[in-house]
Amino acid sequence: MDELKNKKILIVDDEKELLKIIESALFNEGFFNIYKASDCREAVNIAKEQPIALFILDVNLPDGNGFSLFNELRTFSQAPVIFLTARGEADDKIHGLGLGADDYIVKPFLTKELILRITALLRRTYKTAEAKTKISLSDRIIDLETACVIYKGKSTPLTAKEFILLKKLWESKNKIVTNDSLAMAAWGDEYYGDEYYGYENTLMVHIRRLRKKIEEDPSSPKHLITVKGLGYKLVIKNE
Amino acid sequence: MNKTALKIFTYFILTSVIISTIMLCIYFAGFAFIASDTFSNSNDSSPRRILNSISENISTAGGEVLLQNDVNIPDNTWCILLNGEGNIIWSLNKPDDIPDHYTINDIANMTKWFLNDYPVYEKATDHGLLVLGTPKNSVGKYDIEYSMNWFSTLPQRIFIIFFMNIGLAALVACLVGINLYRKINTLTKGIKNMSSEKPVKLKEKGIFKEMAKNINETSRALGSKNEALAKRDEVRSNWISGISHDIRTPLSMIMGYSESLESSGEIKECDRKKAEIIKSQSLKIKKLLEDLNLISSLEYDMQPSRKKPVKICPLIRNIVSEIINNGLSDKYSITLDLKYEPALISGDEFLLERAVFNIINNSITHNPKGCTINISEYREKNNVYLKISDNGIGVPDNVLKNINIIPKTAHGIGLPLSYRIFTVHSCKFTALNKDGFSVLIEFPLK
Repeated sequence: MDELKNKKILIVDDEKELLKIIESALFNEGFFNIYKASDCREAVNIAKEQPIALFILDVNLPDGNGFSLFNELRTFSQAPVIFLTARGEADDKIHGLGLGADDYIVKPFLTKELILRITALLRRTYKTAEAKTKISLSDRIIDLETACVIYKGKSTPLTAKEFILLKKLWESKNKIVTNDSLAMAAWGDEYYGDEYYGYENTLMVHIRRLRKKIEEDPSSPKHLITVKGLGYKLVIKNE
Repeated sequence: MNKTALKIFTYFILTSVIISTIMLCIYFAGFAFIASDTFSNSNDSSPRRILNSISENISTAGGEVLLQNDVNIPDNTWCILLNGEGNIIWSLNKPDDIPDHYTINDIANMTKWFLNDYPVYEKATDHGLLVLGTPKNSVGKYDIEYSMNWFSTLPQRIFIIFFMNIGLAALVACLVGINLYRKINTLTKGIKNMSSEKPVKLKEKGIFKEMAKNINETSRALGSKNEALAKRDEVRSNWISGISHDIRTPLSMIMGYSESLESSGEIKECDRKKAEIIKSQSLKIKKLLEDLNLISSLEYDMQPSRKKPVKICPLIRNIVSEIINNGLSDKYSITLDLKYEPALISGDEFLLERAVFNIINNSITHNPKGCTINISEYREKNNVYLKISDNGIGVPDNVLKNINIIPKTAHGIGLPLSYRIFTVHSCKFTALNKDGFSVLIEFPLK
């Protein structure tokens, strides 16, 4: 986690007070490489000089807008971007996320929520070696790098679909992931299209096979729980 | 052909048939009236009557012919009596140009016709052939002959003419009806377009020129009124959007600093509480801003602008899982019974999510002691139904009564907002208190 907090974050907003608030909140959470800019020009200059790991962009800026700034930054940086703006119209959100931004937060916001989102985004993008590759489920270890379940020194490979489903569940661990989200992750739009609705049974088959590999007793699962009518939940304690 | 057109045709044809029948009867009567010479046939001074009167009053006494009684004979009428040899044996007012002797040829020529241009009438009596003459050019005579076959087929021909007349009248009525229907149809389409607020420009000509002109003028007036209304709504909507935008940044700072103070260990407990209140009230303002924008867009835009096919079942599963994932208390349980998985609706996914969430959230907030929320979805004929019900205490009657009105305060805005969202999506929304609270939404299938 310390490694994540070393990451350089650039906040771009024309409100100096707001910059101070965000900087202070990040600083209190242990982030200390924080850069601030009040307009597009300053933001581009900083981004060219420093290897910024995460951008937080306002949309309304004195010398342009956050959307065009995003496009300019993308020409030389692939770091994740969060739009933090007073423009709360759905069209603006769709436009911002459509450009490829990783998150879109509408002002006013809770700084705690912003910090959580920043941390989650940094973790997803720059996962630590351990977090990236290993999930611990009771006496079983799932290696995401090799897509294998390791139990008593023996490695059992996961199929491609099992791996995708497990990864999707792990990303929202301890929360319900709907059948629809899982089917979308595993088969995409083409499979989960307008005409086909029989995915639930196929999904059940894959989940059953997955349980055989990750559960001690697949008939009474402790980690991969069915939430009736909704989907599944990956329960991981002390995570 | 639609119902109106059928009515017009029936009306036209029936009216025409009735009118043509009446007219035909009148024509027959008129023809009979015109054709009959009532004066010469029924009047006492008609030649036939005078002739009969003379024949009845003539007698022979000692070889002399006498007119016994006084017979009223006009001065310009004359009479002669011919014997078997063709000689005149008696005369009255005989003009000079009338011969005294007649051959059988003369008799044959004048019979029913003229004698020296005098129209004559004959009658055979015991005393001889009585000939009555009237003044020249006073009577026209025509020889008309018909075969007996003509008489026997006359009723058939009268019927044929009668029905042909009716048929012709119906055909003409039909053509006039079609023409009229076309013109009325254009006007009807114009009025229909006007009711759906489409611009109308009808050709101003023909018998409905005035009406078309009035429709065009009304459409123009409506168009300008709608334009003005749309402009006003846009200004209002933009104003609301602008104001809420301008409030957001200062509110972010209020929330940021209050959060910072709330978690600061350097201030007194009572000040920390104050900061907490500032933060919670700011969150309320944030929620109000979101509702304000939503209501504004629903109120002024009227129709959801980001319509796309939305799958109802995944939408419901997503909302329910979000609610549970956000820490739903154990006092509440949600059951799902989604029967018609392919259900699709054309709509704004964000708005629909908000609408369903509000109903479920309403059950949670109105039942602080807990309740069971049942969500069922099924198809019946061409509609999909979504029923969200709980076994709680229900909602106040005034909320149900005013469910179609957005309240002036933020309190109790959830259900009216859901109602508005579903109605702009052409859904039927029914809410009632029965063993708790329940909402039934009828979706038209895409």
